[in-house]
Amino acid sequence: MNRELYLFITEKKHHQYRHTVDWDLGEEYSSKGLSPIERMADRFERMCKEETPVILPDERISFLRTVANIPDIFTADEWADIKSRCFIHELGYISNISPNYYDTIAVGLLEKRRTADEYGKRAIDNIIALSDRYKAEAERIGRSDIADILTHIPRYGARNFREALQFFRILHYALWLEGNYHNTIGRFDKYMYPYLKKDMEDGLYTPETALDLLEEFFLSFNRDSDIYVGVQQGDNGQSMMLGGIDENGNEVFNLLSKLCLQASCNNKLIDPKINLRVNKNTSPEIYTFATQLTKAGLGFPQYSNDDVVIPALEALGYEPKDAANYTVAACWEFIIPGVGLDVANIGALSYPLAVDKALHRSLLSSESYPEFLNCVKTEIAEQVEKICYGISNLWFVPSPFMNILMDCDVYTGGKYNNFGIHGTGIATAADSLAAIKKYVYEEKRIDKQTLIEAVDSNFEQHAELLPLLRYEAPKLGNNDDFVDSIAVELMDTFADSLAGRTNCRGGCFRAGTGSAMYYLWHANEIGASPDGRRKGEAFGANFSVSLFAKIKGPFSLIASMTKPHFERIINGGPLTLEFHGSIFADDDGIEKVGALVKRFIDLGGHQLQLNTVNVDAMLDAQKHPENYRQLVVRIWGWSAYFIELDKEYQDHVIARQAYRV
Amino acid sequence: MTMAHGTIFDIKEMAVHDGPGLRTTVFFKGCPLRCCWCHNPEGLSPEPQLMHNDTRCLHCGRCLSPCEHEECQPFGHCLHVCPENCLTVSGRIVTPEKLAEELISSAEIMGDSFGGFTFSGGEPLYQPDFLLETAALLQDYHLCIETSGCTDSSTFLRILDVLDFVIMDIKLVDDALHRQYTGASNRVILSNFKLLQQSGIPHLIRTPLIPGITDTEENLSAISGLLGGAPWEKLPYNQMAGAKYKLLDMEYPLRNLTL
Repeated sequence: MNRELYLFITEKKHHQYRHTVDWDLGEEYSSKGLSPIERMADRFERMCKEETPVILPDERISFLRTVANIPDIFTADEWADIKSRCFIHELGYISNISPNYYDTIAVGLLEKRRTADEYGKRAIDNIIALSDRYKAEAERIGRSDIADILTHIPRYGARNFREALQFFRILHYALWLEGNYHNTIGRFDKYMYPYLKKDMEDGLYTPETALDLLEEFFLSFNRDSDIYVGVQQGDNGQSMMLGGIDENGNEVFNLLSKLCLQASCNNKLIDPKINLRVNKNTSPEIYTFATQLTKAGLGFPQYSNDDVVIPALEALGYEPKDAANYTVAACWEFIIPGVGLDVANIGALSYPLAVDKALHRSLLSSESYPEFLNCVKTEIAEQVEKICYGISNLWFVPSPFMNILMDCDVYTGGKYNNFGIHGTGIATAADSLAAIKKYVYEEKRIDKQTLIEAVDSNFEQHAELLPLLRYEAPKLGNNDDFVDSIAVELMDTFADSLAGRTNCRGGCFRAGTGSAMYYLWHANEIGASPDGRRKGEAFGANFSVSLFAKIKGPFSLIASMTKPHFERIINGGPLTLEFHGSIFADDDGIEKVGALVKRFIDLGGHQLQLNTVNVDAMLDAQKHPENYRQLVVRIWGWSAYFIELDKEYQDHVIARQAYRV
Repeated sequence: MTMAHGTIFDIKEMAVHDGPGLRTTVFFKGCPLRCCWCHNPEGLSPEPQLMHNDTRCLHCGRCLSPCEHEECQPFGHCLHVCPENCLTVSGRIVTPEKLAEELISSAEIMGDSFGGFTFSGGEPLYQPDFLLETAALLQDYHLCIETSGCTDSSTFLRILDVLDFVIMDIKLVDDALHRQYTGASNRVILSNFKLLQQSGIPHLIRTPLIPGITDTEENLSAISGLLGGAPWEKLPYNQMAGAKYKLLDMEYPLRNLTL
């Protein structure tokens, strides 16, 4: 790739073109009495006009954000009023869905304009106007190649691979500029490959030159991403899905899939976030190739298993052709491009909270372990009831341009309007119950009141219980049915509690295995726990074992973690395997890691991410961040530059390693 | 049927450098050599040993209070009270049946993807009967050994007979140097290497590259001549080799090695 351009972007020199605006749009719109959609249309127009076309030397993929902020369209009082009447998800703007870029790239914006509503037409006119200003700038500086491209797109459909990439860039840029966030990329190799294929047949590219262009295109996802901050820097939802089967059951994995894995590996940047769909028929060569990317240490690719996900989505009511077309939202939630308006991260269950409540309310009165377990199940059901009951009259700020890119009406709801609920701390809960079952009920080594006192005092009382519970009790992840079966039962209970419920948009609720940031938040809601977890210690992220659990090894771990009935718990949320970088030292090690991933998939695991880590490097990076600007780690469902994370997230990644061999 | 007991100090799933495919390696405790660069010092003594992790120790003294646990008595510390899990015993006495059962669970999980088992150590040939009985229970699987080859020839031959792959070290060709740095003569090792070559069993020879000791030109060319083209892997010096000595209250003989 163009090395100067790469350094220009990664060294953030393009920030020199940025400015901020201090418009008080909320006040202005409020005094004019504009409706929400009028406000969105007006703000998009202003943002487009405020942008300054900047074309960097020798770049082939244009569009750079020069306005670094987007003023809110409501005043604080208006938001308070809206929230008093409606359930507002996160920021209130549309997020975390997978737009249909491909139809628009194929036919052009003028064609889409014909059927758009007045706000959609206005948005299209504004983005075309901005594109024309880019074209004029290209002409001014003598970049006739860019000017030619912008003469055709975005008005008309792309005629070749480069136009298709530039068109995508404009659409994606426009979605962010409209104020939508966690704008995902979807099944890129599926919808982009026809353009590359045709160009290669016409002799326009070799795999090497296509890769070179693709690397520059991938770089474009890192131009403005620091503006797209989520819970932490890096949490921006630019997720790309590769591979998998199409609507007819044919394998998608193609030359472009391979080039995407390669481009990510070469760029070594945290965007786009690479996902790979696999299934029983995926060849060992693909796993080996993908493991080369794992070796790069970016936490990519994250794997999803078609054989598990597709039937599970069908069971939830997704049409087979839609289920076959699944992608992931910002992190790992399974969503459908174009037609899905699922809110895949609308709430989260805390399994350890359910155990904690049962411990305090019911342990003393429970005569047997099954009786106590039933109390935990009741607590889970009550929590689920409370979560579901709390979500009514959901409302999103209407986004006219997003509406153009979806095959459904985003103002009123999509073809799918299901709500996903995460499930946090499964290992902490299962390990706690295993300890109670074994030591309180079976061996009667620990008296009920003693256990409660120990937990409530953070093990200051009955301190001798801590080593027993923490280091000697059975732990999830060791292929031990005694505890693994408890985890499965708790997860089934979660699914049962959500089954049959209808949400406020007429959809269903989906149980998940993800945690997002709740592994820290939920952990602070309770004190110590009966698995020997001290007060203040985090849960494992997503579908992971406890941070201090001693695990026999990767084989036992994948055996344990493929036992649950994922066909009923399919909102998404991966198991994370952590490897020291030295395992990838030679091709043999890479093939072996690939083979392990394949076995996880063949055993029926639903989702997997792999982290290449070096504890010494992370500890040193905390002391000397200036030496580790490129050190990347995988957080709950996205990758980040280690030094840009808050310390609590840094410490959690380090703690995940402390007990590994 | 009575079984020989053996002592192992670890079972490692997915040991990637221990033979072909996805394997599980069992580490036998006890070794006849005393290589001064050994990175598994807990594998040297055949006896179970207490390992104490000082870096996490709170010096609370709980482990020093007398306890009634039978398993704690040999070590003078209670193993069950440390809030930081600093104390572990390296070395577990098992029967071949129990060991085979534990190992086979790996094979069951991994199915067709499973590569096999590797016997490592310490020196697995140091417990030959235990090794043979365990191997007999695992004859359906691909079996590999990582060995110094330091045992009598009849034992070596008996064990070759049950193996599918052998990874054997040749560290130093000069016998005087071998005695100096490993504490034993290499004569039996070199003659066992000949037996290995004659056996036709696929094998890989490894040489750890210890600066100034095994990585000298004379030594490497002598090994090369001896091997006559047999697969040979030279392992770079493990910078972390001394890491575990402190846990055992031992001193790493090469602590002053400068690279």
